[in-house]
Amino acid sequence: MPTSVCTAKASYKKAPGLLELTDTHIQWTQDGKKAPVVRFTHSEASSLFCSKEGAAQCRLKIAKYGDENGYNFAFTSPQPTASAEREKFKQELTAIITKNRAALELTQQTSVPPPSIPVTAPISNAPTPRIPPSHPAVSRAQSVVSERVNERRATTPIIPGNDAANDFRLRKKVLVSDPELASLHRDLVMSGQITETEFWDGREHLLLAQAAFENQKKGKPGQLVDPRPETVEGGEIKIRITPQLVHDIFDEYPVVAKAYSDNVPNKLSEAEFWKRYFQSKLFNAHRASIRSSATQHVVKDDPIFDKYLEKDDDGLEPRRQPAGDVDLFVDLGATLEDHGETGNERDITMQPGRQRGALPLIRKFNEHSERLLNSALGEASAAKRRKIDKDTYAAIELDDLRDSESSAGITLEMQDRERYFEGRTAAGSNGVDHEHLDFKTLVHEAKQNLQNWETNLNQLKIERKPGDAALMAMTTNVATRLDVRSRKNDIPVGLFTQMTTCQTAANEFLRQFWLSMYPQPNDVQTVVVATPAQRAAKAEKMIGYLSKTKEKVDALVRTAQADGVDHNRVEVAMKPLLNAVDWALTFYHTRKGAR
Amino acid sequence: MSTLLAVVLDLAPAQWHAAAKASTSPLPLATFIQHLNAFLNAHIAANNDNIIAVFAALPGTSVMLYPAAEPHVPVPDANSYTPFKLLDSAIIHGIERELDVIADSDNEVPVALVGALSKALCYINRLTIAQPTAKNEHALDPHILVLSVSPDLSSSYIPIMNAIFSAQKLKVTIDVCKIYGPETVFLQQAAHLTGGSYIYLERRDALLQYLTMSFLSAPALRKTLSVPTQDKIDFRVACFCHKNIVDIGFVCSVCLSIFCQPVPVCSTCKTRFPMKILQRLNAARPLLPSANSNGAARNSSPAGGRTNGNGNATRTR
Ligand SMILES: [Zn+2]
Ligand SMILES: [Zn+2]
Repeated sequence: MPTSVCTAKASYKKAPGLLELTDTHIQWTQDGKKAPVVRFTHSEASSLFCSKEGAAQCRLKIAKYGDENGYNFAFTSPQPTASAEREKFKQELTAIITKNRAALELTQQTSVPPPSIPVTAPISNAPTPRIPPSHPAVSRAQSVVSERVNERRATTPIIPGNDAANDFRLRKKVLVSDPELASLHRDLVMSGQITETEFWDGREHLLLAQAAFENQKKGKPGQLVDPRPETVEGGEIKIRITPQLVHDIFDEYPVVAKAYSDNVPNKLSEAEFWKRYFQSKLFNAHRASIRSSATQHVVKDDPIFDKYLEKDDDGLEPRRQPAGDVDLFVDLGATLEDHGETGNERDITMQPGRQRGALPLIRKFNEHSERLLNSALGEASAAKRRKIDKDTYAAIELDDLRDSESSAGITLEMQDRERYFEGRTAAGSNGVDHEHLDFKTLVHEAKQNLQNWETNLNQLKIERKPGDAALMAMTTNVATRLDVRSRKNDIPVGLFTQMTTCQTAANEFLRQFWLSMYPQPNDVQTVVVATPAQRAAKAEKMIGYLSKTKEKVDALVRTAQADGVDHNRVEVAMKPLLNAVDWALTFYHTRKGAR
Repeated sequence: MSTLLAVVLDLAPAQWHAAAKASTSPLPLATFIQHLNAFLNAHIAANNDNIIAVFAALPGTSVMLYPAAEPHVPVPDANSYTPFKLLDSAIIHGIERELDVIADSDNEVPVALVGALSKALCYINRLTIAQPTAKNEHALDPHILVLSVSPDLSSSYIPIMNAIFSAQKLKVTIDVCKIYGPETVFLQQAAHLTGGSYIYLERRDALLQYLTMSFLSAPALRKTLSVPTQDKIDFRVACFCHKNIVDIGFVCSVCLSIFCQPVPVCSTCKTRFPMKILQRLNAARPLLPSANSNGAARNSSPAGGRTNGNGNATRTR
């Protein structure tokens, strides 16, 4: 016999009956009948829709997987019982549907963005207040499941190489965001020097990063809803109302949602509602800052909206009591008993509510932040946070108060140090005679040298010749350096650009070459792995390009000569590049010879 | 601008004996002291707020000569400026005292340069901490001047590097004046890494000329003044295993030791590397018959094939 979770009088297809939720099934039985007409298991429920609050009929639609039309029930008890009953059903069913979706995702392992919270979508398509998400009790196991789903979603990016269209899109994005790479791409790929695939070889990480970036789930924006007037013309204030703004306002200020459902469309039209709201004291109380006193004169008394006005939340206790225990670390009252009796001065630096005027704003910010965090942490957070709070002892154990544990570490013991350095230091030794001298004699000699130091100091005299020589040597040293620094770049722009292009192209060839020579790292997530033959072909192709580098540089040197530029400077500038190219060429031919 | 100058004197008796007998421009210790005192006096005369500290590196020991723990009070002398005399005599008496202490030893051990350098850094650190920084950000422009005559001591490589890192952290410039002996690679690095000057004396007898021109100005002024410095430093990398200069080295991911070929166990820190990494790195070995290597890097055929692992082959230049 299944246990009943909740029941309510409800009509289905205009027939009166009883809607019942058991611990396994959802069922509806027509009055006077024994067997239920509608009956399906929890796991079949896919989504839930409610009529808006205050609508003529209190309706609830439950859709099944594979049957989006679902079942439409109307709660038939007199108000407010009907609403309360529906609320109960909504809570329970929301939990069930959340679980169903989590389970489904686990099996499908898709990387599609998560469906929106399976709570309520208004049946009417007018900007209807979204009913604040309910918080059904979620079991620990279930929360773990949903967490895992989230984790997977965060760490499984689209793997480049799977899908050409997607790859193309990613590459384009990477190039757009990196002008330097884009110009290299233009120079090499567009001009046909290397292929698109070759270019991206070894740059997979850029695509991966881009894919990961795109896959990141965006959280709720942290900004406080604060509609700003667009234009101010002759005292008129214009605020553009978008569905998003309406949603945000309702979300942030449930009282506006309530006002809306109470008054629209019976007492006020949609447009009128917003017009009056933005001029009301209620709106002014909702502003994020007490910014402009200029808008103050626009605020009008409003018999409808003023009813919803709440007293400023500036009492000593906040109007909305925080749920659960307050963490001792942030509880200003927690240290109260340390003051007074013990003789300690009262804590005057951290008094709650010392600035009464700021309290409503501070509390508004706090509530906003809390809402934001809750939306980011999801349902699991409550249980998690409480778990942390429970262990008071762990909470007062601060890392800073703990003795730093000394670790022995790994001693850096270099073997054979003497041999390592002797080769380099001995070279400069300027013929020290290794005559063996008695240490005592040496010390005595040193002491002798200290005698009559005062007389010595008074007779200080530097010979002209060595002094001049030292001065000259040091001046030359400084001058050489200054000369290099002050020499300006007078290579013509055209030639300079050619040199730069030659350099970047050869660098890319070098990169491609070494990439094909060295073993491939296995940690890059890519599906496309070049075969040894492909790699060898690529290496050969790159060597072909690289062996032309010398010609190119020679051409540049000739251009310099023709332009009347000191060609030595071009040679010096290109020398490191030629060295690197030579190294690659020699490496390639040596390896080829060794095979 | 006031500066804090810490001078480290290398007082190796044997090296000074040799310096006095050098074939070209000899410099006896007595003349060195003479020039040094003139330089130090110039430093404290240049600015009222200039601070001087003098440290001596002696065989097996290091000591702070000035300011002295037990100041030697000189006889008042109408012919000399008292602050000069206090400074000069403190240094001379300090050296004499220390020489007396070591006079009974039989063998000459290397000078404790690292000890002196560390003492200088500690002293600078203390003064920097004690100083209220809010008043003037660069009220103290600390620099250390090492007057060196001894060759590099290979066993002190790591301590010297540690001293260099401390100096970098404290923003202390290390200047080096190589008066006698072979070029020291360690001190070249110390000067280079801390933004100081390394000067090798070609004319020892003109020591004071070098000192005033290169080391008297505050480090902060050098951008404007352009002081001489070394024009080339040896940055080439030698492998730890054969001491060969290498173009491509294999670096231990734990202690940064450099090897010319992949090794299963790091000889420096004893870290073991997985076989897979070794295979991968072996495949990446340079095959060039390097002109520098004396056959150590044999051109064995590479292990071949692609292998797993996150190797850490690092190209060094
Ligand atoms: Zn080696
Ligand atoms: Zn190691």
